[in-house]
Amino acid sequence: METITRIFHAYKQAAWRTQRQMIGIFLVALVGVTMVAAIYLSVTARTAIVGRQIQNMENEIINGQRVNADLQTQLASLTSASEMEKRALSKGYQPTEPGEIAYIAVAGYTPHNSISLAPQPQPRPPAIPPEYTETLLDWFDQQMQGMASTGGTP
Amino acid sequence: MRKPYIWRSLTVAALLAVLGLSIVIRIIRIQNSPEAAIFRDQASRYDGEFRTFYPARGEIYDRSGQMLAGNKTVFEIGVTLDKVKNPSTIAQTLSANIGLDYNSVYDAITNPPKNLTYLVLADYVSSDQASALQKMKLDMQTLTGNWKEVVRPSLAGLEFKPHLMRSYPENNLASNIIGFVTREGKGYFGIEEKYNNLLAGNPVTVWVPSDPNRVQEIPQIPNGTSLILTINRELQAAVEQILDSALQTYGAPSGSIVVMNPHTGEILAMASNPRLDLNQFWQYENIYHSASEYDPPVSMPYEPGSVFKILTMAAALDTGTVTPNTPFFDSGTILVGGANIYNWNSEAWGQQDMIGCLQHSLNVCLAWVATQVGPQNFYNYMQRFGIGRPTGIDLAGEAAGRLKIPGDTDWYPVDLGTNSFGQGVAVTPIQMMMAASAIANDGRMVTPHVLYGMVKNGQQYNTPPQYAGTPISTKTAQTLNAMLAISLENEASQALVPGYRLAGKTGTAQIPTQFGNYSPDKTNASFIGWGPADDPQFMIYVWLEQPSASIWGSETAAPVFAQVVQKTVVLLNIPPDSIRQQMAANK
Repeated sequence: METITRIFHAYKQAAWRTQRQMIGIFLVALVGVTMVAAIYLSVTARTAIVGRQIQNMENEIINGQRVNADLQTQLASLTSASEMEKRALSKGYQPTEPGEIAYIAVAGYTPHNSISLAPQPQPRPPAIPPEYTETLLDWFDQQMQGMASTGGTP
Repeated sequence: MRKPYIWRSLTVAALLAVLGLSIVIRIIRIQNSPEAAIFRDQASRYDGEFRTFYPARGEIYDRSGQMLAGNKTVFEIGVTLDKVKNPSTIAQTLSANIGLDYNSVYDAITNPPKNLTYLVLADYVSSDQASALQKMKLDMQTLTGNWKEVVRPSLAGLEFKPHLMRSYPENNLASNIIGFVTREGKGYFGIEEKYNNLLAGNPVTVWVPSDPNRVQEIPQIPNGTSLILTINRELQAAVEQILDSALQTYGAPSGSIVVMNPHTGEILAMASNPRLDLNQFWQYENIYHSASEYDPPVSMPYEPGSVFKILTMAAALDTGTVTPNTPFFDSGTILVGGANIYNWNSEAWGQQDMIGCLQHSLNVCLAWVATQVGPQNFYNYMQRFGIGRPTGIDLAGEAAGRLKIPGDTDWYPVDLGTNSFGQGVAVTPIQMMMAASAIANDGRMVTPHVLYGMVKNGQQYNTPPQYAGTPISTKTAQTLNAMLAISLENEASQALVPGYRLAGKTGTAQIPTQFGNYSPDKTNASFIGWGPADDPQFMIYVWLEQPSASIWGSETAAPVFAQVVQKTVVLLNIPPDSIRQQMAANK
């Protein structure tokens, strides 16, 4: 017992041990703060890069749509009625007269009279009840919101 | 540690602490100083910007999907002022390449308005011109040489911002139908004005931060709705060529031709002259004197003359006043409302029946028919035919025309006689076509329209045909249809086309002058007709204004009608009657 007390007393009184402990604690705190700062910087930098990439991609989408519209109009100019007529005449074609056309009856043929540049709207499928699609978290969130909206009144 | 070192250490630590504290205090003071607010305000200008995203204006297509109106890329050219190195080079380059005034550009760059960082110098610059300028800018960046004595040429600071602008690939084709869009984005005339809101879409203004950490998704802005017209581009081009040629042949200053499906009211072609190159819409004022001249078939009422007789005869047949065989002795004149009415050639045509009256276009006979129908019935029928009110066609600027009726202060009994053959009443060609569609369509009148459908969010929504009432019975319509076909054949009209049985009527109308009388030598020549007579697939209206080669519709508008029929049957794949009937019998 006396020995233990002596050792404990000796350690307690050693100044260098106390200083080393302080330095150790300071260094641990410093490393911790440095790590948090490094992680923060890394995440912030990555967010900034991704943010810039998103901005660039959005600009690319807008540019792409603009170029697409421009090319469609250029194509329409190249195939305009006057241009096509010029090209046809230059290749030796002549406008047809009614008497020059031979009509042939094709059994079962029905002329296609409707115009379709895009699909017609389809009837919407019946809505799926939320019980089949929502997650447990969604359900919990909804319940909480429901409670919050009804709460506060006696 | 020894005492002296302790004191020294404490002194240094205290000094450093004071220094650190003073820095912190200074930072706080700076951040809260009045100058800081100014700096923050300056910085906020670079935080981001409110940007308005304009959806691309919807395209316009013909019925086969050929684009009639689209969008093309043009550039706004400006300068970022703090990046400009050589204003003189910029002014000189823009002056030489896109025609800007050198002094204006130089002054604008060197003396910009206060607090301006970006200055727009030109807009709607074509892609080719902008590309050339961009290449010059790059070339100047890589210039080498000794530029110590003179200022180095540079286009630094010159910026190019692309955006879309309306473009019309067909130039002046169907310009009267399409209308145009100004640089402010507003539609004028035709489809562009009528459906401006649909085509333009809804612009959205959002805050776009410069800080990528605060980047937010730009909302997806749906493009304007694209429209599909009932117009057949090839037929439109052919009809415009025929019209242009007819104006030259017959010496008419202007004219119109409309082709419509009488079953559905779909306008297949609507040509007028003069036309506007829609890519140079600013020439509008040089071409037209008034807005009604832009699309005459819709917006310019006129006294149609004898084509109106088909409506008089329809009313008479429907009321049972006459039948095709009702006899009439034409003495060459008739007194209506105290005024004498004469035939077009001022001659008496003797014994006729109703087919003969239409065949020879006898004013006296039709005035007599109108008096037999009676003013009440006559004007009731004209109103049921839609005369005097807009048809509701989906084109901007439609005129209502004018039908005076008993009770109006300017209606006189003689008007019943003159109205019966199309004088003293003002209609547009499209009104006449809507009214006549009842005759070609078993009594059911269709509303003419140009919009076939619209494409929005990738889906097509079609517009069904609309009917505008049933002014006459099926029997009346069929009877009159046959009478008009027979009268054309009996007359050996120039409107006839071999192989196809057609029904129609010529019209030659004197033009009222500003003094209230009629011009002796100026007429409006018209023809309305449809075919094939047993199953009409097309209805054509021809209107030539003041033809000088001949004043008569039978010698000017009728042959033009025949030319249009010949093109129409080819382009719409309508076989001659014999083949069509044979094919129908074999089904």
